[in-house]
Amino acid sequence: MNDRMILVVDDEAELLEMVKSIFERAGFTQVLTAASGEAALKMCKEKQPDMIILDVMMPGMDGFATLRELRKTSKVPVLMLTARGEAEDKFAGFENGADDYLLKPFLPKELLFRVQAILKRVYPEKERKVFFDVATVDLEKAMVQRNGESISLTAKEFQLFEKLYENAGRIVTTGSLCQAICGDFWQGYERTLATHIRHLREKIEENPSKPVALVTIKGIGYRLNIKGEQT
Amino acid sequence: MNASERFFRRYIFSTVGIVILFLTVNVALVASYFVIAYFGNVATSNFPLEDFSNHVIVENGQFTGDAQATEMLNKADAWAMILDEDGTVVWEENLPEELPRHYNATDIAMFSRWYLDDYPVNIWKRQDGLLVIGLSPGSVVNYYLSFRAQYVQPFLFGLVAVFFINILLMVYLFIRNAHRVEKAMGPILDGIRHLSAGKPVHLEEAGELAEINAGLNKAGEYLLKKDNTRADWIRGISHDIRTPLSMILGYASEIKETPELPDQTRKQARIILSQSEKLKNLVSDLNLTTKLEYSIQAIHMQSIDVVELARQVISKILNDGIPEQFEMEFYEKQPGRNIQLSGDNLLLQRMLENLIRNSIVHNPTGCKIELSVGIHENSCVFVVSDNGHGMSEPQLNALNSNEDISSSQKSEGDTEHGWGLKIARQIVKAHQGTIRFFDTVPHGLSVTIELPIE
Repeated sequence: MNDRMILVVDDEAELLEMVKSIFERAGFTQVLTAASGEAALKMCKEKQPDMIILDVMMPGMDGFATLRELRKTSKVPVLMLTARGEAEDKFAGFENGADDYLLKPFLPKELLFRVQAILKRVYPEKERKVFFDVATVDLEKAMVQRNGESISLTAKEFQLFEKLYENAGRIVTTGSLCQAICGDFWQGYERTLATHIRHLREKIEENPSKPVALVTIKGIGYRLNIKGEQT
Repeated sequence: MNASERFFRRYIFSTVGIVILFLTVNVALVASYFVIAYFGNVATSNFPLEDFSNHVIVENGQFTGDAQATEMLNKADAWAMILDEDGTVVWEENLPEELPRHYNATDIAMFSRWYLDDYPVNIWKRQDGLLVIGLSPGSVVNYYLSFRAQYVQPFLFGLVAVFFINILLMVYLFIRNAHRVEKAMGPILDGIRHLSAGKPVHLEEAGELAEINAGLNKAGEYLLKKDNTRADWIRGISHDIRTPLSMILGYASEIKETPELPDQTRKQARIILSQSEKLKNLVSDLNLTTKLEYSIQAIHMQSIDVVELARQVISKILNDGIPEQFEMEFYEKQPGRNIQLSGDNLLLQRMLENLIRNSIVHNPTGCKIELSVGIHENSCVFVVSDNGHGMSEPQLNALNSNEDISSSQKSEGDTEHGWGLKIARQIVKAHQGTIRFFDTVPHGLSVTIELPIE
């Protein structure tokens, strides 16, 4: 994942430098910067970055205008950096085609987490594997390898697993999981979700009644604890 | 009844009171005049005829007035005569020269009603003649009233009717005037109430009170401008602080996570980081509270699954990481029940998060925090409770009143800015809900929020 090319766009040179340094420390090897919307569009054409971090408030062409222009030709994922207040209303529905947004001031780990989540989702790696104590999930084939045998995941189980995996180590609420497998009108699917969770546990847990990988957070949701991953 | 209605009602009552007082005083004055006149014998404009007549006696066909009779006449500046059956003067005292000494029936009939040559006259019938007393001209006024009997009663009734019609008309006019004033004053009073509540005011600048309305409009505009200036100022400051703060956060966490650096330096970086995070929260609180206070923040009403909302908040807090001495629990009062609420998702999340974080901040040694949601009657009820230190009685009272929270907390020497609770309260208000703070047994704080379900 770390060889993905990231373009950071901000008119503040120092912030640009800092964000670049955050990514480089996290192991990203190709971090480009642009100081204006116009420069960013030009660079997009030339270098075709895999992901763009775009500031909203910029003199000249602002972040929204840049994004609109960009969306005419490209589907590259964009995370917008915004000062709360100037843009939160517009972000309510991601109407401008942004994949995510982050409010300034932000913590480096927040920025990294979001960027990595987007990259994981948009550019699924070949040979992606997730390791647990007794099983390995192959995300490409939607298969679980366990004790030398392969068990396939159903479509719903796979969607569920992907959602949990995107947020590995973090709690995902029941509602978000239902939404991931049933769409926006998920109310009333909690029982179905519980069934899918049980099936998933039977495939990845050593003892499904005492789960350690896919744990229940009572009343809230579930959390996936992974032992390792290959991406 | 609002204040202005009360005011005008009182005004009308006092007016009616004044009218009644007026009448009473007048009746009392007239009555006292008659009482005084009665005792002071002022009432009789008439000469004491009978008394005088007794002082004129007949002896052998000769009339004689005694000394007292003369004195009475002199005192009244009057004259007297007695006429016999034929109209001839048979006795006289002080009778002016120019007056005749003989009167016929017509003369007598005339002067007995009116005047005798300008002299007001009183007459008294004696057995032996007619006593006539003449007073000095101009001392007495004689009126002669004559009505046909059938008109007397309607006339008296008419008098009473006129009196009451006058009173009613007066009261009606008073009330009508009061109403007109009330109509003109009503919007002004409303305007003042709005102003004092910090709401915008616009009154029509017409009519007799146009100047006052214009003044109020001006005051309203001024306040609004001031509010906007303040909000702009805060927005500007908090905006300008974001980028520098991002850099501080960024580099501090970079230093903190560089293992090659000395422990001391990394520890300092950690402190910078945690303090900057406080600043970050402060800026966002300041911005939000200003927006809510001046109604700049638009409320995005949408249908919200309340249970999921609560789950999102708790998972966010748990995902951000809370110290291990804290325990969090969530439960549904009516498990499995779908509760939908119309509200602003982000703001309601913020409200719950603030309340939970308040429990965390105020109980650094740890506690158990519970969040529950449920339906009670037509409200969605959130309860955030902890088993921590709780709050003092005055603090609870301040929170449950409309007092400014931040100022009440400052007096306790609390280092927290206290905006968390203030914002929670503002958000509840924006959703037309109620928020109450209670003690829990044996100790701790419980916050109950009720939001109406549409």
